[in-house]
Amino acid sequence: MKIKTIAIMLVLVCAITSQAYGSDIESRLSALEEIIKQQGKTINDQQMVILELKEELQRSRKEEIARSEEKVVEVDRSQKATGLFGTSNLMNPNISLILDTFGYSSNLKESELRTRRIPGYTTEGITNRKGINLDSAELFFFAPVDPYFNLYATIPITEDGVELEEAYFVTTSLPYGLQLKGGKFKSGFGRINSQHPHAWDFADAPLSYRALMGGEGITDKGVQLTYLPTLPFYTLFGVELLQGDNLILFGPDARSGPHAFTAFAKASFDVSDNATILFGPSVISGSTKTDTIADNTDFRGRSTLYGFEATYKWKPSKAQSVTLQSEYLYRSQTGTLEDSASSSVDGLKRKQDGLYIQGVYQWERYRAGLRYDVLDLFKKDYMLSGNQSDFGSRPWRVSGMLEFKPTEFSRIRLQYNHDKSARNSRANNEVILQLTFGIGAHGAHPF
Amino acid sequence: MKRYLLVPLMLLLFVPPAFAKVNVVTTLPWIGSMAKEIGKDYIDVTTLIKSNQDPHFAEAKPSMILAARKADIFMYNGLDLEIGYLPRIIESSNNPKIQPGKRGNLDCSQFIEAIEKPSSVDRSMGDVHPLGNPHYHLSSKNILKVAEGISAALSGIDPGNTAYYNSNLQSFKDHLNEKLKQWTKKSLKGMKYVTNHKYFEYLARELGFQIIGYIEPKPGIPPSAGHIEELIEMMKKTKPEAILNTAYSGKKEADLLSMKTGVKVKVLPHDVGASDSARDWLTLMDTIIRTLE
Repeated sequence: MKIKTIAIMLVLVCAITSQAYGSDIESRLSALEEIIKQQGKTINDQQMVILELKEELQRSRKEEIARSEEKVVEVDRSQKATGLFGTSNLMNPNISLILDTFGYSSNLKESELRTRRIPGYTTEGITNRKGINLDSAELFFFAPVDPYFNLYATIPITEDGVELEEAYFVTTSLPYGLQLKGGKFKSGFGRINSQHPHAWDFADAPLSYRALMGGEGITDKGVQLTYLPTLPFYTLFGVELLQGDNLILFGPDARSGPHAFTAFAKASFDVSDNATILFGPSVISGSTKTDTIADNTDFRGRSTLYGFEATYKWKPSKAQSVTLQSEYLYRSQTGTLEDSASSSVDGLKRKQDGLYIQGVYQWERYRAGLRYDVLDLFKKDYMLSGNQSDFGSRPWRVSGMLEFKPTEFSRIRLQYNHDKSARNSRANNEVILQLTFGIGAHGAHPF
Repeated sequence: MKRYLLVPLMLLLFVPPAFAKVNVVTTLPWIGSMAKEIGKDYIDVTTLIKSNQDPHFAEAKPSMILAARKADIFMYNGLDLEIGYLPRIIESSNNPKIQPGKRGNLDCSQFIEAIEKPSSVDRSMGDVHPLGNPHYHLSSKNILKVAEGISAALSGIDPGNTAYYNSNLQSFKDHLNEKLKQWTKKSLKGMKYVTNHKYFEYLARELGFQIIGYIEPKPGIPPSAGHIEELIEMMKKTKPEAILNTAYSGKKEADLLSMKTGVKVKVLPHDVGASDSARDWLTLMDTIIRTLE
């Protein structure tokens, strides 16, 4: 009985609890359903928010671009821009000093060198001294003057004193590809003429320069106008009005006022990425009064010098390059030659020419070059009162050089010249050991 | 009959284009590439220095002067990197638009902060740049600033298309940000390298690798035998990851060093176009970072 009641009660309890349990599951399920519904709603809501945010982002981006349409992005560029030549040069111009010194040796005596002239061309001898020579310590100054002009000055200091070799302004703001240069400057005539001697590939000027315009070239007071048109290839046209101080070609007393005129054109193509040619004609003409043609004479008349230059440069890398360069010069002079001793006056017509051709090969920090100079190439007219004068064999010279450039700022060069420019006189065999150093501001290299 | 056809044809040749593109001239390839990134179809870009040339030692060729003559804007690296030819190109161009101080003269270095600015410098130290290391383009931080600068400069010249330049700038920034995620994943931190020239200093700072030695004893000065010996000793001790070299210089020395130490040489493009895969600034950086790993 007792067991029975216990069993029944157990069954009852079980039934009750199970029933309660059943109802509990149902309520939990519905609670879960509720939660899932809630979550679905949350997800929906969140998606809506995301979409809204997306839209807003796109809108603001569009707005940002639209806003920037009105306003250029502000970038501070006032303080840090460097000038044309580099660092600040407000208080001081760029200054550099180039020391050019050389040892000279020749088989000729010192006195023979002084009177070593080129018969038929010039009476000017060689000024180099045997032994150690100081060419000059050359000071360069350059800086912008204002937004319209740049200023340059070259002041070589020699043992004899200070010179003003060049001092000129260059305009920077002329329209139509024009540029004006004024002051004292190296003429744009020819190629070597416009380069500074320390930039030459050889220690001395070509024979044709020495014979036809003087070893110093044409550096004169005047104005130059150049025009660079926008053609498919490089061309530059220039004219100059010069005072006419060059002692070989013109002379300061030939006429009062400017009396020499120059015109030149240069053209250039890049044959390939690594090779460039540059060529062009030049002419300079003016009144002449000079005493350099023959001893104790004075020449008065007109001189015109024509030139044609050509340069080819191949430079596949900084470690290797080849430069071939040549200039042909032709000079025509008409006037009178007065003998100061006898006061006799004769008509003189000279039509003479000369050429140099040179090649330089560079590898790493070394350069080696060969040059050949010749005068009387096609023309050797020297007509004194209608009679051709004969000065002897054709003047020529051959030169070889080897140089080592430890850096851009130093150079050691050894050059040998076999010089037959004095015609039938003995050859002058020269050895030149040239040392060049530059300190100060970094000048730009011309092509 | 044919002649009548020729006349309108010839006239067509002289009709000016509907709208003129801005003529951009740049010195280095990466600047040209960045200008193109911002100016796209609205500009023409001429780059003067080729990617196989040493940017320190170019010459002012007449063709470069002519290009500068035609430029509406001239963009250059600055920090005196182009000091050997840039002043002559700009002055000889006879072009007032690109003179210093004008809108058309853009020194890209003005937008960045140069590193390694020497407090005192003379040339016994070699070709040290007194304004700081000029090879700042291998840095995303710097390139971003330069991109903004180029965009502002193009807008200054060509205000009508400001929105175009700005949206191109924005899409460049987006591309760069995506790329940055990839680049910063690579762990170059603490890696040691030996290089030829001070080309990768900005990148080293950004990615955290170290440059522990240089083949050049001083910038621009070729190494002596003694310097190479010292370098070999140092490399044997420190065991750097690689010798980094650019395509244009110092192959001989790098190979010798590699032979003596067993450290491999990695040739990195230093500028856009210096390797086939470096087509623009982003792919240039991609190539460099891929090679560094």
